[in-house]
Amino acid sequence: MTRLLPTSALRTGAALMALTVFASAQQAVTAYTNATILPGGKPAMSNATLVVSGGKVIALGGSALKAPEGAIVIDCKGKTITPGLIDASFQSGTKSEDLNEQSDEVTPHLRVLDSIDPEDPRFQRARNAGVTTVHVMPGTRNVIGGLGCVLKTHGTDPKEMVIKEDASMRIVMGAEPSMSNRAIRGGRVNSMYYRRPTTRMGVIWAVRRAFYDAKEALNKTQGAPGDAPPSPGTQILTQVLQGKVTAVTTARSEQDLRTALRIADEFGYQTIIDEAQDAYMVADELAGKKAVVMLGAPSAEAVAGSARSDGAAPRAGTVAVLAAKGITFVITTGTNTAALPLINEAMFAVRNGLGPQQALDAITIEPAKLLGLSDRIGSLAPGKDADFVIWSQNPLDPAAVAESVLINGQSVSQPR
Amino acid sequence: MNHSFLRIAIACTAIAIPAISQDLVAIKAKTIHTITGPSITDGVILLQNGRIQKIAKAADVEIPWSATVIDASDKVVMPTYVLAHSSGGMRGANESMQNVPWLSVADAVDPASTYFEGMLRNGVGTIHVLPGNNTLMAGSGMVLRPFGRTVEDMTVADNTGMKLSLMTSNGSRLQKIREMRRAIQSIREYLANYEREKAEFEKEKAAGAIPADKKWEKEIDRKQKAAVELIEKKMKGWLYVPSFAELDEALRMSKELDLNMVLGANLDEAMPLLTKLKRPVVLDATIEYFETDPETRKEEQHCSARMLADAGVPFALSLGSAGPTSYPWWQLGTCMRNGLSRQQALAALTMVPAKMLGLDDQVGSLAVGKLGNIQILSGDPTSATTWVETVVLEGEVVYERKTDPRLQYLFEAAEKAAAPQTPKVDDNKKKDEGQ
Repeated sequence: MTRLLPTSALRTGAALMALTVFASAQQAVTAYTNATILPGGKPAMSNATLVVSGGKVIALGGSALKAPEGAIVIDCKGKTITPGLIDASFQSGTKSEDLNEQSDEVTPHLRVLDSIDPEDPRFQRARNAGVTTVHVMPGTRNVIGGLGCVLKTHGTDPKEMVIKEDASMRIVMGAEPSMSNRAIRGGRVNSMYYRRPTTRMGVIWAVRRAFYDAKEALNKTQGAPGDAPPSPGTQILTQVLQGKVTAVTTARSEQDLRTALRIADEFGYQTIIDEAQDAYMVADELAGKKAVVMLGAPSAEAVAGSARSDGAAPRAGTVAVLAAKGITFVITTGTNTAALPLINEAMFAVRNGLGPQQALDAITIEPAKLLGLSDRIGSLAPGKDADFVIWSQNPLDPAAVAESVLINGQSVSQPR
Repeated sequence: MNHSFLRIAIACTAIAIPAISQDLVAIKAKTIHTITGPSITDGVILLQNGRIQKIAKAADVEIPWSATVIDASDKVVMPTYVLAHSSGGMRGANESMQNVPWLSVADAVDPASTYFEGMLRNGVGTIHVLPGNNTLMAGSGMVLRPFGRTVEDMTVADNTGMKLSLMTSNGSRLQKIREMRRAIQSIREYLANYEREKAEFEKEKAAGAIPADKKWEKEIDRKQKAAVELIEKKMKGWLYVPSFAELDEALRMSKELDLNMVLGANLDEAMPLLTKLKRPVVLDATIEYFETDPETRKEEQHCSARMLADAGVPFALSLGSAGPTSYPWWQLGTCMRNGLSRQQALAALTMVPAKMLGLDDQVGSLAVGKLGNIQILSGDPTSATTWVETVVLEGEVVYERKTDPRLQYLFEAAEKAAAPQTPKVDDNKKKDEGQ
C-alpha cells in the first residue's frame, strides 16, 4: 500500500484505520511514512515515519525506520505531520451564558467542567483546524472566576474528554470584571450589573479580601478543632496559596500586568499570566519573576495605535520581545472573539518575528508543559498519545489545510 | 520611439534640467510577476514619465545612465493591488438619510486617514472608494491612489458610479427591497415629468405659443442628476448585496441598470443563482464563514470565493479595514486554502478589479504602456512572512518599509530587546582584533 495517496484516499485510509482499530481491539498498527514531521520541541525530520498503535505513538524515526510487519502504511509524501495543537486558553466549549456566574464576583469553587457542552460547534471548529487539546477556563467577568479544566476536543461526554480537572483557577485584573457594573441607586435590581466592584480598586479589593480569608483559614487549620470548615471557595484559594492549584491571572494592559505580579507577590502565590497584550512593556519584570505567559491572539495587533477598551495596545513585536527576553510563553486564541484558528495565530507570531520552530512549540510542547501534561501530549514520541495532524503543506503557510486530525489514533476531523 | 534617440534626448535634457532624469526609473528584480504574462527571473523594468517603457530579462535591457536605479535584485516585483470596492479613508461613510444619490465621496475622503497609509503598507495602489453599505442610494464614488495631500492629488477617476445597498439595518429585507424600487421609480417619474415638460415646450413652440427663438433652459435638478444618469445607464451602479436572500432582486435590478455587484459572504443558499451572474463581482472582505445546521447543530465552513469560482464567475477580493482580512497575503492564502489556484487568487486583487473599473489598460498587470504602479516584496506574495518593502506609484517611490513609522513603533521594543546589551564592548573587541 506504499503509494502516493490523494487526499481523499488518505481520508478514507484514516477512516478505515480508525474502524480497524475499533474492530481489532487496538491490535492494528499504522505507519505514516515519507512525511515531514515536526515532532514538537525538536527540529523537523524529513522523510520520517510515525508508527501508531492502540491510540499511542509507538515509534518515530527517519527513513531508516521501517513500517512494522503487517502494519497499515499510509504514504504522506509532501505532507507535514505535527502533534495535535494545544490551545491553553480556549474561550468556548460552553454556551456563552454559562461562562460568567452572576451570583457573586468571587467564585473560586465553580468548575467550568460543569458547563462543558461537547456539542458546542466550536469544539468541532477547533479540531478541524488541528487543535486536539484545549484548556477551558470560566469567563472573564468575575474577579475570581473558578476552576479550569483540560479536555480533548472530541467526545460526547465531558467525563471522557477531560484529561485534567481543576487545572487552573482564573483571576481577572483590570476593567473587565467591573466594566458594566453600576452601583445600586434605588429602583429594581434586575441586572447582573447592579453589583460591585465598579473600579479597578474594587476589583483588586475583591481579590485581596478573598485571599485574606484564605490565609486566615490556613492559619486556623492549625488552630482549635471544632471550628467551622472554611467555605468551598476559600478552600480552593488555600490550595492556590499552597501551590496545589495553579493560578492564572488574566491581565492585558501594562497597569494590570504590573498589578497581577504585585498581588501574587503580596500573597506569595505563583501565577501564569494570561492574555498579556502589553507584555512587551513589562518584559523585564516578567523575566525577573520567571512568569509564564499565555499570549492571547497575536494576530490582533494595533498598527495605527488603536487601543482596546481596557487600555492595552497589542503590538506586533510582542512575541519577539518575549522570545528575546527568554520568557516562557505559549500562544493561545484567548478571549478575543475575532481570533483566528490557533495555527494561524502562530503564523502571525512568525510574521512578527518569532522563529517557526518556536512558534510551533508555543502551540504544542510548551502548553503541554504549562498544563503539566507533557508526558502525554504536545510532542510525538513513543508512549505519548497519538494526537496528530496531517497538513497539506507547512502548517505555517496561509494556504495550509489540516487534511486529517487524529486523537488517540482515531480520525476526528471532517473532510473539508 | 527609437531607443538610442531616446537615450540621447534624455542625456541632453538631463544636463540642462537635472530633474528630468528622475523621470527615468529602472527596477532590477529577482522575480517579476507580470500577472498577465509569464513571470520573469532576473528582470528589469524601465519606467519613463510614470509609465512602463520596457520590461524584460536583465540581459536584454540596457539601463540608461541617467535612470534612478531601484535595486530589488533579491526581491519579488509585481503590480500594486487594485480594490474595486472600499469605504475606507472616509470620515462618515454612511449618510443616515437613506436616499442621497447626489452625494459624492470626494467630500468625505480624508487624505490624512491612516487607512491610506495602511493600504500602501499592504501594496495597494488603486482604490475605488464608495459610500458605505448602510445607505440605500448613497452617492457617487471615485478611484483614488493612496498617496497625496489632497483628494485632487489622489484622484485617478471621478464619478465612477453610484453606490446602492440592499443591506437591512432595521426593518425587513422586503421593506428594503421595496424602498429601493420606490427610489428608482421616483427617479423614473421625475425624468418622465421632465421629458413631458420639455415635449410640451417644444410642442407649444411649434404651435407658435412660445417665441421661436426661445430655448429650453430648464436643466435636470442637481440633486437628481446622478440618479438620472444611473437610470439612463450613463453611470454605473455598485450594488451591495448582503446575502443570498437579496440576490434574486439584485439580478432583477441588473436587467434595468448598469450594475456591478458587491456580494456579502453568506451565499451558499444562492449557489444555483450564482451561475446567472453575467459580470465579475466584488466580494466582501470576509470570504470564509461558518454555518450551523439548526437540526444537527453541525457546522459547515463555506468560502464565497470558492463558490464563485465553481460557478465560473470572475471575482475581485476586498480587504478589511483591520485584522487578518486587511492583509492581501491572508486573503490570497484563504482562497488557496479553499482550493483556488494561485493565479485565480492573484487575479482577484489585480486584473479582475482593474477590468471592473475600466482601468485594465492602466493598472492590474505589468506591461509596456501601463502605469508604473509597482510593489517590491521581500518574498512570495502569498507567504505570511513576506513584507512590502517599497511601493512605486506612477514611477514615484511613495512607500518604503524601512522608513515606515508605524512599523518602527510596532517593532522597536522587539529590536531593543534583541539588540546586544553592551554594544561598546563589542566595538572594543573589534578594535583589539583589528590591532
